[in-house]
Amino acid sequence: MAFVEQCSSQPAEASGKTQGTSGPSHTPHTPRVPTRDQALRYRSIHTQLMEMVLTLRQTVEDHITQLTTRPQQQDGQAIREQEALLGRLLFQIVSFLPAVAQSFQPPCTSTDSRGDVGGGQPVQTSRQTGQMFYQESDFENTVISYDLSNRGIDISALYHLSFRDYNIYQGNKYHKNKNTLGYINLGTSENKLCTDLLAERLSQSDMTYIDEDLLQYTDWRGQPFLRKEVARFLTFYCKTPEFLDPENVVILNGCPAVFSALAMVLCDPGEAFLVPTPSYGGFAFSTHLYSKVKLIPVHLESQVTEANGYPFQLTVDKLEQALLGAKIEGKKVRGLVLINPQNPLGDVYSQDSMMEYLEFAKKYNLHVIVDEMYMLSVFDEAITFHSVLSMKSLPDPNKTHVIWGTSKDFCISGFRFGALYTHNREVASAMSSFGYLHSISGIAQYKLHQLLQDREWIDNIYLPSYHFRLQEAHRYVTRKLKALKVPFLNRGSGLYVWINLKQYLDPCTFEEELLLHRRFLDHKLILSPGKTFMCKEPGWFRLIFAARPHLLRIAMRRFQQGLVEHKQERRVKQLEDATKEEVSTSQPETPATKAWRQREAPRVLGRGDPAGKAVSAPRPQSAAVAAGGPPLPGPAQAAGRLPFPGFPSGLGGQRWESVSGRQALGAPVPRCGPSCAPCADGPECGCLGPGAPRAQRRRTRPGEDSTQTARPRSLGCRRLQLRQGGAIPALQSRGAPRGLGLEVSLHKSRPCRLAALGSNSHFLPETRSWFFRRALAVLQGPCALPPALAALSRISEAGHVGVRL
Amino acid sequence: MSTLLQKESRMTTACPGSDSIQGLPGNKGDGLERKCSRKPDQKPLKSYGVGDPTAMFSSGSPYLSSRGSVIKWFWDSAEEGYRTYHMDEYDEDENPSGIINLGTSENKLCFDLLSRRVSPSAPLSGIPSSEGLSSWDSLEYSPRRAGCLPRLPRPWSQEAPLCPGDHLSQSDMLQVEPSLLQYPDWRGHLFLREEVARFLSFYCRSPAPLKPENMVVLNGCASLFSALATVLCEAGEAFLIPAPYYGAITQHVYLYGNVRLVSVYLDSEVTGLETRPFQLTVEKLEMALQGANSEGVKVKGLILINPQNPLGDVYSPAELQGYLEFAKRHELHVMVDEVYMLSVFEESVGYRSVLSLERLPDPQRTHVMWATSKDFGMSGLRFGTLYTENRDVATAVASLCRYHGLSGLTQYQMAQLLRDRDWINQVYLPENHARLKAAHTYVSEDLRALGIPFVSRGAGFFIWVDLRKYLPEATFEEEVLLWRRFLENKVLLSFGKAFECKEPGWFRLVFSDKTHRLRLGMQRVRQVLEGQPQVAEDTPPRQIQEPRGPHR
Repeated sequence: MAFVEQCSSQPAEASGKTQGTSGPSHTPHTPRVPTRDQALRYRSIHTQLMEMVLTLRQTVEDHITQLTTRPQQQDGQAIREQEALLGRLLFQIVSFLPAVAQSFQPPCTSTDSRGDVGGGQPVQTSRQTGQMFYQESDFENTVISYDLSNRGIDISALYHLSFRDYNIYQGNKYHKNKNTLGYINLGTSENKLCTDLLAERLSQSDMTYIDEDLLQYTDWRGQPFLRKEVARFLTFYCKTPEFLDPENVVILNGCPAVFSALAMVLCDPGEAFLVPTPSYGGFAFSTHLYSKVKLIPVHLESQVTEANGYPFQLTVDKLEQALLGAKIEGKKVRGLVLINPQNPLGDVYSQDSMMEYLEFAKKYNLHVIVDEMYMLSVFDEAITFHSVLSMKSLPDPNKTHVIWGTSKDFCISGFRFGALYTHNREVASAMSSFGYLHSISGIAQYKLHQLLQDREWIDNIYLPSYHFRLQEAHRYVTRKLKALKVPFLNRGSGLYVWINLKQYLDPCTFEEELLLHRRFLDHKLILSPGKTFMCKEPGWFRLIFAARPHLLRIAMRRFQQGLVEHKQERRVKQLEDATKEEVSTSQPETPATKAWRQREAPRVLGRGDPAGKAVSAPRPQSAAVAAGGPPLPGPAQAAGRLPFPGFPSGLGGQRWESVSGRQALGAPVPRCGPSCAPCADGPECGCLGPGAPRAQRRRTRPGEDSTQTARPRSLGCRRLQLRQGGAIPALQSRGAPRGLGLEVSLHKSRPCRLAALGSNSHFLPETRSWFFRRALAVLQGPCALPPALAALSRISEAGHVGVRL
Repeated sequence: MSTLLQKESRMTTACPGSDSIQGLPGNKGDGLERKCSRKPDQKPLKSYGVGDPTAMFSSGSPYLSSRGSVIKWFWDSAEEGYRTYHMDEYDEDENPSGIINLGTSENKLCFDLLSRRVSPSAPLSGIPSSEGLSSWDSLEYSPRRAGCLPRLPRPWSQEAPLCPGDHLSQSDMLQVEPSLLQYPDWRGHLFLREEVARFLSFYCRSPAPLKPENMVVLNGCASLFSALATVLCEAGEAFLIPAPYYGAITQHVYLYGNVRLVSVYLDSEVTGLETRPFQLTVEKLEMALQGANSEGVKVKGLILINPQNPLGDVYSPAELQGYLEFAKRHELHVMVDEVYMLSVFEESVGYRSVLSLERLPDPQRTHVMWATSKDFGMSGLRFGTLYTENRDVATAVASLCRYHGLSGLTQYQMAQLLRDRDWINQVYLPENHARLKAAHTYVSEDLRALGIPFVSRGAGFFIWVDLRKYLPEATFEEEVLLWRRFLENKVLLSFGKAFECKEPGWFRLVFSDKTHRLRLGMQRVRQVLEGQPQVAEDTPPRQIQEPRGPHR
């Protein structure tokens, strides 16, 4: 630590300005405890390093200009001096590096963990760079059109990449009566809690007024009456010190439009905004489509360290690091984008920290765009939201721009209304040029005006019910999550919870995250994976809870099923991988597999799992039902008590779960073995044949099960069914020891090698059918399991045997 | 009606003003100040011009990006007239000396019909029952039309502002379905796209029913131009457009798309190949395309406005076919803006939509736009639609619809309105056309009485007026001065420069306003023109000197 301190004092002299000016922003944090103090100093090493690099670059540039401009005869002494200075600077930086390296710790040791599973899929690791979702659009190449411009192709591809799930959802929505197998969308941040209130309010007679002006061209910034009303509304709900000026309001059709236009007028192509991530993915979309502005993520970390008071805390130091890093890379940063209340974290910035961010922006001459979309969606009464407009004096009012819209706070995302408030008239008038392209229907403007001016309805009816419903939905979802032992950020604002499913990813990569996401899709549930929020750590998901109770209940059931299935499937896969490696090296046990087994096997057997996390499947039934009691008022209450269809109640160790085999196996399993190529199931089977890489094989869907089992020709396909949870009654009655039940179906005509199951498995011959000999087995020790399963899966993959485990 | 057209065009060429044009055939390009000032030794007969929307832009802003400054400048400069107008709008009672707007192309004639259709229970204050419209009584209404509209309350007659027996059940407009309040399919709600497809199939008389999948619905044609420019062109590429044209397109394609327009200059003068003034020919298109290519400008498409704005011209099917073939030869996209499709009030004009052609030369590169802004007098409703058989283009445009979405409730109302074919066919369209025709007759007779030549063929809301004889010098400065004089006399017109017309002195006069306003407006126009010294017929020498004038 002494080394660090020693070093950190040097750059302060070298660069001069950092310490002095950034001092005030640190003062609120300045702790008396020495450890905190050290942490602070430790923290700013990055910043200092970057400043040094910048200084270095500046000096080098100066040096070069001098070299090129000065006449040859004078160069001797001056240049030598400069070279010495450069050398000193370089030395400082080099001496700094070890200290910096120490503090860089990868949040997820994914690359390391890949090692013991074996390099089965090297594709995954190579893809594991922290690219943004749209950058890896090799999808682009597939869209070949001579009619579109390159940017047209780019736009089309990006849209389809980022809205793929949404489009699937649009094509197959869940409906209580008409389409119970449809998708439930907990991925799109859309408020569906209060549509009834809004529909009622909007069909009242005062909404139907029509005036000639409403049908004609008007002020492109928005109808004057609406701008006036928005100014009044924001004055009141943002508690501004002074009345807001309607002339500073620009109204466009939706916040994406506002943001897009703002990016156009504040940045030139290629310039950038800073965005603390995880952050609303729509920004990346909006800035990329039209304005070609880059986003520079300020990565926040889930780990609570001394520097971070809470997970994903945004600090000025992180902002500074990101900014300087971008500068070093030669990017021009024009602004900082803040979302308050934060999406997807649900954080509400305190007034002090907001002030720090604003001061930071002022210091570096950045615009600040504050998106206060969820301003009225703070449902926890203990939390007070402070709008940036409520501040007495903004550090740089001419560069602070506030966005608000009704989509979230008023459940009317289909209304397309977004407003910008800026003190800067130049920005306002430049934005007005976009009024043409982002205009709102006059009739809709009138309705919005009526809605916003009805303060009595908002205060007495709408907001109380809205907040109550949000609370209830939030309580329901968080209880469920607790029961499932899923960690999440418990915040009191927004329509979403930010949940951590890292435990379900192994290895902890974005590919695995995507697989888990697809697993939910298989269960007809849409969540937003962390990657779309530019989150640095894989495994986080955003779950929207602002849905009607019955929908939320079904969604949470699907969520649970998805998780259970994913876990089981993953375990089977691991077992396969582990033993494949083992077999191929023809050693009974490599150190890697041994370590793995010791870690994993107890969990597989449902024993010795102190955290209770691993085998979450059979357990949560009772807890879930209890938690899912009567969370919401109304007739839906009774429905909440319905047991989950996949999990008959009372199975706690006594009965087998009736998870179907295909569900249990889930995704990347080829449906047919090599013996049935070309696949008899026809093209809809989706099996790409045995040679196809795993990742490319199509996923099976739960809905397809019935058709599949009805066909005798698919008998050759592998069927593995995981049934765990202790004793099997049929076996116990015959005196078999307690263990993992294994039912093996053997194809009559093929040789089988059950010996692979190992010596300490216990076989009981069972029925004989036309096609199958069945055997029930109980595997006793943890040691035998991985190789046995792997052997089984290999046999069954070759089409020899159907195995139910 | 064609006789009238011929008469009009003959008038245009026979009037004293046009004599003076004919006197200076070698002088055409000189009106183009920018071109001239840049390339003084340019051959005067330049038939095209590569537009540079930022040519006049000067200063930046510390708060804005460089493109932001240009965008702001657009806003500050382009709307000068409208800002003045908005600060001093004419109102019969409150501000009788305010400005009358004959510059914005809006249909203000049928608000009474629409307001009742769109919002039946609207408070009466919204309906200008007796205000102004009553005076249309003086204009002829054929008893036949009155007979076929038995249910229509006659808002223009004083005694029946609202007919209680109105059978159109308009409560259909009040529906608030929750799904309308949520994120829609970004291309537009399916019910609306289906309705629009049916509607256009019917009114464009398309040989086969149009498919809803090929439709994209968004908030107005401006957004469509912007989106199409973005997805069809790279930054810096260009579209061809016959000029004079609706000038706002320049900004629409430039703002986001950074696409420029290459004007294909048309002449007022009728020469051998042409049969009417400002006629577009394939030769002119070819020349402009070649010219643009020679300047290194890559042209990706052709924009056609049909019926034309500001000329009020209508392309015949044969002409259309010719332009489309031209585009096909050069692999250009054709964007056909048919926003005045249903505002052809002279039946004899024989308007044909491009969608009615039996076989399009290049259907994959033909994109048709329509909106309700003009035909239904609802420019404030912001509804526009694209029809294209090219799925890639439709998808790409739809990808941008997140930024150009239309409120769900508006979409619902739109679908209801378009569905009501009875009302449209029997009430709205006949009435709208009758009113447009009456207003057109009034204004054109007024102009004839003043001896002012004009171009108009019975479509659209405007007359393209030739005021060249009132310019002391044939320059755009003089044109703006004249325009200011109109504005000072409280009447707002649009000058030809705003339409990239290359001959100074043309103005667009919008006649689709209520009678009393129109009368007052025309009166003010007359006052200005009478006070303006007319240029004598022997002016050509002066005009020939013009290029060396002070504006350069």
